[in-house]
Parts: sequence; C-alpha cells; structure tokens
Amino acid sequence: MAPELGRSVRTSLKRLEEPLALYSVGVVLCLVALVPFLFLVGELVVGGPKAMSQSLAIVTSFRLQRLFLDSFGLALAVTVLSLLVGVPMGVLLGKTDVAGRSLALLLYAFPIFVPPFLLALGWFYLLGHQGFVGNERTAAVLFSPFGAVAVLSLNFAPIVTMFVAIGLQGIDQTLEEAARLVAPPWRVVTHILLPLIWPAVATAALVVFALAFSELAVPMFLRVPNYPAAILARLSGMQYDPGEAFALVLPLLGLSLILLLIERRFLGERSFEVFGLHSIEAWTMPLKSWKPLMSPVCWFLALFSITPLMALAVRASDGGFPAVFQWIGSSPGYSLLFGSISATVIVMIGLVAGRAVARKTRGSRYCDAIAVLAFVAPASVLGVGLIAVWSHPATQFVYGSMVIVILGLIARYGVIGIRTLAATIAQSSPHLEESAAAFGAGFFRRMTQILLPMHWRGVVAAWLLALVFCLRDLDTVILFYPPGMETLTIRIFTLEANGPEAVVAALALLHILLTVGALGAGAALLLRGRPR
Amino acid sequence: MQRILVVVLLGLLASGLLSCSRGGAQEVVVYTSVDQVFSEPIFRAFERETGIAVRAVFDTEETKSTGVLNRLIAEARSPRTDVFWSGDPVRPFVLINHGLVEAYISPSATAIPPSFKAADGTWTGFAARARVLLVNKHRVPSQDTPRSIEDLANPRWKGQAAMANPLFGTTTMHVAALFATWGEARAGRFLEQVKANNVRIASSNGEVKRLVIAGESAFGLLDSDDATDALNAGVAVEVVYPDQDTLGTLVMPTAVVLIRGGPHPQNGRKLIDYLLSPDVEARMAGTAGHMPLRSTVPTPAHVRPVSALRMMPADYSRVTSEIERIQPWLRNWVGL
Repeated sequence: MAPELGRSVRTSLKRLEEPLALYSVGVVLCLVALVPFLFLVGELVVGGPKAMSQSLAIVTSFRLQRLFLDSFGLALAVTVLSLLVGVPMGVLLGKTDVAGRSLALLLYAFPIFVPPFLLALGWFYLLGHQGFVGNERTAAVLFSPFGAVAVLSLNFAPIVTMFVAIGLQGIDQTLEEAARLVAPPWRVVTHILLPLIWPAVATAALVVFALAFSELAVPMFLRVPNYPAAILARLSGMQYDPGEAFALVLPLLGLSLILLLIERRFLGERSFEVFGLHSIEAWTMPLKSWKPLMSPVCWFLALFSITPLMALAVRASDGGFPAVFQWIGSSPGYSLLFGSISATVIVMIGLVAGRAVARKTRGSRYCDAIAVLAFVAPASVLGVGLIAVWSHPATQFVYGSMVIVILGLIARYGVIGIRTLAATIAQSSPHLEESAAAFGAGFFRRMTQILLPMHWRGVVAAWLLALVFCLRDLDTVILFYPPGMETLTIRIFTLEANGPEAVVAALALLHILLTVGALGAGAALLLRGRPR
Repeated sequence: MQRILVVVLLGLLASGLLSCSRGGAQEVVVYTSVDQVFSEPIFRAFERETGIAVRAVFDTEETKSTGVLNRLIAEARSPRTDVFWSGDPVRPFVLINHGLVEAYISPSATAIPPSFKAADGTWTGFAARARVLLVNKHRVPSQDTPRSIEDLANPRWKGQAAMANPLFGTTTMHVAALFATWGEARAGRFLEQVKANNVRIASSNGEVKRLVIAGESAFGLLDSDDATDALNAGVAVEVVYPDQDTLGTLVMPTAVVLIRGGPHPQNGRKLIDYLLSPDVEARMAGTAGHMPLRSTVPTPAHVRPVSALRMMPADYSRVTSEIERIQPWLRNWVGL
C-alpha cells in the first residue's frame, strides 16, 4: 500500500514539474518585466484626479506631442533605412557567393554588439568639426536628425541582415529546388525566398523600431531632441515628480502595447517556422557576372560599418591607452559580472519558457508576450518602473545591491533567451521527450538529459547573445546602478562629456575588446567538436 | 569543458554575492554632481589615505546636479548615501527642505568665509565656480566681445549665442538668482527676449562649450570650469566674467552635506573633512579651474580669484526657493 502511494505521489510530482517550472518562470517574468509597468499606472491612479488632470495636460502639450512624433519619425526613418540596406545585404551575405562573405558578414554585423553611442562617438572623432576628416559641413550633418538616423541605421541594419540571412538558411530546400527549375536565381530570391521570410524581416523591423525609439544616448549626444530623453530630463528636473514622469511614460507604454499586438497578431505564430535550421547544406546562389560588382559593394559596407571603431582606435592611440587604467576602475569586472549572471538567468528562463513556446504549451504565449513587452518598451520606462517597485526600505536588499541591475537586465533581455532557445528547441522532434516521459522521466530529467545535451550549442549561443546585449546596455541600468558599481558603458558615458577624449576612446575600445573576447571564446566553444 | 563552465559560472555567482553583501564599515557612499573627471581622483586619494573605500554615483552631464539629487529624494525612505557633494550651493537646500540633511560642522571648514557655509553646519561650500561667457575669437572681433549676460538678448547676437537648458544644472540656479535679484517682471522679460533672440538651448554646459569651440555659436553662457577646459584645449576662445561693472558675476561654491540616516555616518564625516581640506581645494583649483574660497589656498594663474571679482549678490537659500517657485514658469518657457 505504502510503496504504491509513494509511487503515485512521485508520479504526480513529476507531472507537476513542468507546469510548476513554467509558472515559476511566469512569476519571475511578471515580477521583473510586468509589475514595473503596472506600478507606473498605479502611481498615476494613486495621485488622484488632480494628478491625473495635471498629467493629462502635460502629455497633451504641443511640445511633447511634437517630441513624440519626432521620435516616432526618427525610429521609422531608422527602420526604413535599416531595411533598405539590411535586406539586400542579408541576401548577398546569406545566400550568394560574394567573395569572403563569412568575414564580410562578421565585420558588417559587429556593430550590433557595440553600444550605439560608441559608434556615434567614433563618427564624431571622424566627422566632427575638428574630426580627422571633419569640417563645419560634416559636423552640421552629423549633429542633426539626419546624422542620428544614419548612425542608428548603420548600427541596426546588420540586425535586419542577420534575420534575413538566418531566415534564408532555414527555408526548406525542396521549395528552392522546385523554384530553380522554372525561374532564374533573382526571381527565386524576389518571388520565393523573400516572401517566405517576411515574418523574419517584419520581426527585424519591429526590433529595430523598438531599439531606435528607445535609444537615449545617441540622440542626446547628437543633440537631437527625443521623447525618451524628455522623460529622463523630467526625472532629473529640480522638482522631482515621478507622477508626471509616469504620465509621460504612458504614450510609450501605449506604443509598446501596439508593437506587441502587431507582433502577436501577425508574427508571433510564424516566426519560428523560418528561424529553424532545417537544412545544413543550403544552396548558395552564384552571382556570376555580378560578383565583381557585388563583392566590393558588400566589402565597402562591411568596412564602412566598422569605420567609427577604427576612428576610436586612432583617437585612443593619441595617449589614451597609457591613461586608461587610471580611469577604468572596476567597471569591466562589473560589466562581466552583471552580464554573466544575467545571461545565466536569462538562459534558465529561456530554457523553460522557450521550450514551452516551441512546443506551444498553454501559457507560454503569455510569458513570451511579457518578455517582448519589456524589450520593445523604451528602457527608461522599464527603469522608472523598476525604481517604483523596488526602491523601498523593505526591498533595499534588492534596490541597494547589484540585484536591481540583474533584474533590470533580465527584464530587458529575457526575450533573447526565450526566442533563441525556442528557435533551437523547435528543431528537435517532441517525440524524443514524449518517449522519455512515457518511460517515467520527469520534466527536469528530460531537460537535463535530453534537451541540454542535444541543444548545448544553442544554449551557449543564447547565453553569449544575452551576455553581449547585457554588456552593451546603458539605457536600462543607468537609472539605478548601485553606488560604485557602474558598468563600463556607464563609465564611458559619464566621462564622455568632460573626460580626456583619448581616454574615453580607449575605454570604448576596451569595451569592444571585451565583447570580441566574449564572442571569440564562445565561438571557440561552439566550434569545438562540431561535426565535419 | 562543461565542468569548467560550471566552475566559472559558480565563481561569478559567488563573487556577485560577495559584492552584494559588501557593506562593511570601511566604506562610504557618495553621490556627486561634480564632474567625474575631477571628483574621482579625489575619492581615490581619500581611499589611499584612509583605507576607506568610496562608492560613488556620478551624474551624467545632461542631468547634472538634479539626477543624483532626485535619486537622493527618491531613496529618502531608506537612505543609502552618506555624503552629497553638490556642484552648486542650492541643491543642498532642497535636501535640507526635505529633511534629509544631518548638520555637521567640520573642523576643516574653519577658514572658509561665513557667507559660503551654513552656521548650523547643514552645508559647507568650497572650491567655487563662476558663471562666465565663453567667446569664440574667430567669430567675435575683440572690440565686440560681449561683456554682460544681457548680451544673450542683444539683437546684435541673434541666433549666435547658446546657453544650457534652465531646467537643469547650474543654469537653473543662475536664472533663479536673476529672478531673486531683478524681480519677476524684469527677469521674465529678459528670458522672453533671450528666447526671441533665438539663443540656442543646449542640453548641458558641456554642450555649450562644444558649440562655442566648434564655432557653431559665437559665445555661450556656462560654468568657469567648462571655460577652463576649453582654454586648456588650446582653442581660440576668451573667458569673460560678465557684468563686472553692473550686476556682478554669479559665484557658486561646490557644497558638501552629510545625509541623515546614511549607512556610514562616521566615514561620511571623514570624507567631508577630507573634501573641505585646503589640499583638496587647491587640487580643485589646479585641475578643475575652481576658485579657492580660502585666501590661504593659492589661486592658479588661469583662474580669477574670488577677491578680484565683483560678485552677484545671491542668498542661496532664497535662490533655492526661487528655483522651486519658478519651475512652472520655466517649464512653460522651455516648452516641457
């Protein structure tokens, strides 16, 4: 009787493992990525009708409406330009036989991993009034909305390229082969491949729009007024009034919800179908007579993409390197520490929630939606919400320590773990897990003994991607980083205005080297033991 | 390889937890709106001399003075700061009005003139800056050099001058001091004329400096340390201490306060004593172009001594009240 009862309890507990894990992840995501937004709404409601009417007056003021529209226009322009450059580059570097395309893709895509304001700094050293090739006219263009659009587009177009390249790799070969029988290569690309990967292109466009709209540092640096900067300024005004700041946040929250709805309505279900890696031997489209023209174009764009980084290197070489250790402090250590811990938690969340999304488990869509909301919402919105939630005497163990930074990074970049691992796990058949379950393997056992060994490369890739995004973050953590624990990006930003230029450039280069080091180590790990 | 990864991750987690639990007696937490490039070396020197670790939060240039101030107010229910080192003397009054300041009369402050410190020890000023005009010599012939802040409203300079957003930083204090000195009608009229004169409103004093250096603006209103920075860069600029025959130049000491209920009050007092020492004031004068308030501290050649300046009369407490009172007016003026 007793052994049977024990077996029955164990069986029940095993059945509960999966829903409990998913609920736990859901609770964590709610706490870090949803509750902050709810707090913002709550703060406004608590203020009463007077606060509401005051806030309404602020939000509806002409100046702020114009700022909002300006920011919207800037993000839209960046998105369009990124698509115009990123899609053809994705096709060329992802599908054709452009000379040295792997290296060109690596160079071209590298700025994704660099904080946008470092690129702006590089362009400033190059095109500023006293830049290497700068004059009054180049400075005027750089310090204008056009300059901001160009800098951000160069930073974000590779995102589109990567989405397109990965999407093209994932298309079923049989479709391509059938099309190639009746149509020339370019018609296959324009009439078959691109329509098939439109969800990937649309997702990339949404990501670029969200990143461009929430970008704070580049518009501030290039003196282009924008809405997120207005919120930051509101929180930094002489009369601190979080209620008013929260009111300013509401239109952004509305925009985030609209982006989320678009993503859910049109893309949420389809995205993973094209992100898959169905075929290893993808067809490479020969450029034939176009190759001598297209290869230099691709290489020009790849080198153009890293031009600001070279400008930083030249500027740093002017006495910046010897002095860098005087100014660097412990910031690289904190960057790596916060990034590593956050990336680890992000991957843990991603394994549970991503698997649930891949297997279309009930409730997984909500986890995914919360993570997407926190990603598409401007970082300052999330930051203000996190302060409202955690800055209380009882929660000082969170707000007064590095935990608040970890929470912020998990909230902001949780979606990377979920989406990357969902795409990875979607490639494996659920039957393997079902068979194991039939033999009594619980959720955690299936996870550790089937999914992890099978997808360890995907897990490492997700961890690396999350780490790199955490390393490049500035906008999220600048609002609440603990005293004495600033990350390298924060240090560069706070020193940028009055610090020695060469040292700031050297710090920026060091940040890039940190990223290269992390990616290099990860790539070495991923390539190790790869089947030939 | 998997074992190595696990070890590395556990190591990182452990060091993270150690960082979390770091909160021993041998540290002090300071928020400062003084430029990081000047303040951080002083904190490091304090660490070397006392063995007390300094954990600092620095302001970004754009939110100078009010970013960390608001963080202090937001954290008032559970202060995590021991010392606030303000780039100007009015922010301490905001904290005093919020009941966040613990009075402390530092023995290091004895020689500081009474007009630059509170008798009850709630704030103490040292190493001052002035509000000056930075003039691009390529854009402005020497005979036309502006000599007054009222030149910002002079049609002769329409569209050619720059100043920082008066909602933030020391420009807020300057505008409030004008309201306190001139009265609402005259100060308001002046600012409307400034607006009509298409004066470029920059996000910070640092940006005003860049605009003038780059020649995008003929001259700009900023702090004397920014002007010193421009001079040190070797560009063709002139620094003008405005209104020496009329209103006088606004002088703003940096100021330190001890935060009530901070986690390390004893170390906070030690840091304040250190900051108020003549050595630090001399260092601020030498590296940051600040004006020493003590006659015993030497003034570098490129810095105008306070004693040689006609100073604009400014009751810092009243200026603080003015700042709070004129906020709605200023927001309307700025368009936020």
